[in-house]
Amino acid sequence: MNELIPLMVIIPIIAALLISAFSKFNTISKILAFVVAICLPVIAIASNYGLHYFGGYEPILDNVTGITYHPAIVYSFTFLQQIFIAATGLLAFLVIFIYLAKYRKVSGPYLFLLFMGTASVTAMLLTDDIFHLFVFFEILALAQVGIVAASSIDYSYEMALKYMILGSIGSPIMLLGIGFLLALTGSVNITDIVYAVHNGLVDSKSPVFLISLGLIFFGWLYASGLPPFHTIKSGIYSKAEPHGAALLQSFTVISMISIVLIMFRIYSSLQIFEVLIVFFSILAMILGVSLALTQTDFRRMIGFLAVGELGFIGLGIGLGTQFSITAGLFQALNEIIITALLFIGFGAIVNATNEVDTRKLGGLLFYHPKVALMLLIGGLAMAGVPPLSGFQSKLMLVQASLNCGYPEISILAIMVSIATFVVFVKTYYSIFLKPKPKDLDVENKQVPKTMIFAMAILLIIVVLFGVYPDVVTNGISNFVGGIL
Amino acid sequence: MAQTQLAVLFTSTALIIIGLYSAIFIDNIIKKIIGISFIEEGVNLFIVAIGYKSGGIVPILMPGMDASWFSSNSAYPLPFGLVLTSIVIGASTLAVMLAFVMVLYKRYGTLSTKVMLADTSKKEEYDE
Repeated sequence: MNELIPLMVIIPIIAALLISAFSKFNTISKILAFVVAICLPVIAIASNYGLHYFGGYEPILDNVTGITYHPAIVYSFTFLQQIFIAATGLLAFLVIFIYLAKYRKVSGPYLFLLFMGTASVTAMLLTDDIFHLFVFFEILALAQVGIVAASSIDYSYEMALKYMILGSIGSPIMLLGIGFLLALTGSVNITDIVYAVHNGLVDSKSPVFLISLGLIFFGWLYASGLPPFHTIKSGIYSKAEPHGAALLQSFTVISMISIVLIMFRIYSSLQIFEVLIVFFSILAMILGVSLALTQTDFRRMIGFLAVGELGFIGLGIGLGTQFSITAGLFQALNEIIITALLFIGFGAIVNATNEVDTRKLGGLLFYHPKVALMLLIGGLAMAGVPPLSGFQSKLMLVQASLNCGYPEISILAIMVSIATFVVFVKTYYSIFLKPKPKDLDVENKQVPKTMIFAMAILLIIVVLFGVYPDVVTNGISNFVGGIL
Repeated sequence: MAQTQLAVLFTSTALIIIGLYSAIFIDNIIKKIIGISFIEEGVNLFIVAIGYKSGGIVPILMPGMDASWFSSNSAYPLPFGLVLTSIVIGASTLAVMLAFVMVLYKRYGTLSTKVMLADTSKKEEYDE
């Protein structure tokens, strides 16, 4: 059913518009949001793999040159898109479910932003058109800013504006890079650009081509929250509602992989490209975990840990082999699930205590044992403890860097994983194990059951991917083999 | 490269550099936003310049026109379509940024980014 491919983007957009339009009717908005949210992962699972040509414009063969070109936007749906869209759809469903259960009166514009963000990342994954990707990248940035600003946390507006100013510099620079590619190849279709680059129609050593790489790479750094944007990225996570932050980090991961895979297809012939990715990834790993260690606000701590984990993804892709890219993409999938689990779990603590400072918390193990247990497993998965999913992907990354002849990178990856473990244990001890401060009030507050439900679902996936990694790695490996 | 195209590329480069300077170094948030608009418009101008063809015709195929003559004489329409979308995105982003500035100006009574967007973690410690 290839007709379902565009519906993965169209349905959340229509739902967003309808919910926003009928936000005065609370029950209708809630039912509509719930039903559409369930559909998000289901459509991705039910759809067949294939291509969708918008407007029915199929590729045209130029009889003079013998080159096939694509006159319209194309969506490509393979196993990789399926697994990531299903994961984001599931996460969007869980986040929307938590939100609907938490508030008696829901906000139409907030739901609009959640659905638009989900639609944007879906389109970014599916599209084979670099300008189409840019448009949804911009819509996603606006949705992210809105989700942060909609939270009732202090200084969320300031953080949203700061993110927007940086984005307004990063996005046009990325567009300029796309403009350079358009000038060189005459197309914005990625398959056409790749054909032109790899068949000598474009001089891949020309300065214009290198400048386009630099400009798009800058946009990618902003989208991924890699240095120098790591502080602002962890900042927006800390200023969003915890369930919103869980979704925001998945948006970041998907933006990162969708742009980097396109860059990989276009620029893989340039050695500098892989060097740049590995350099910024290592920087993100070191800075992320070091800054996480100094945080007392646990939302900010997870934000920095998430940035450090992004470094692992970049590392896998930067090494450039089929095995390493598979490891990087598997790590991306695991990070979406694990970081969401941590954000929702720590959100439950905020819900119960109204406190985010680890120095003022303590003794919560006896009050919220279920949350404590699930957070412990999530934290261990992030640190790469067997037999959880984080272990499998990090083991693959270590093996990949050894296979590529970089044992020093393997050692660094292991050290960063150990540091992640230390950061998590330190925070976990502060919140759950140390004696409860006298002025901390937790007696009458319960953790919402929806949060426990969401965490349990995510935890099952973490264990499942840890025990049976082949369920996804085989499919991802086939996809990677196709683009290499 | 045609002289017109060269002039447009020079102007777009100047706009981007002035915009970057303003967005990074000027403290006033409104001037910063004006700088960001300069960057966006500079990029749009650059993309328009890509589609320019010296002595070219408007890329609309009229009845009776020979298709091969049209394709070799018309300007390249794709960049113009892209710029149209880019302008809409830029306008939306600008509106949202200005809305944030309005709210924050009411809160702080100043347009200085040093005051308005100072490190929020330091602000939180100060509040405590």
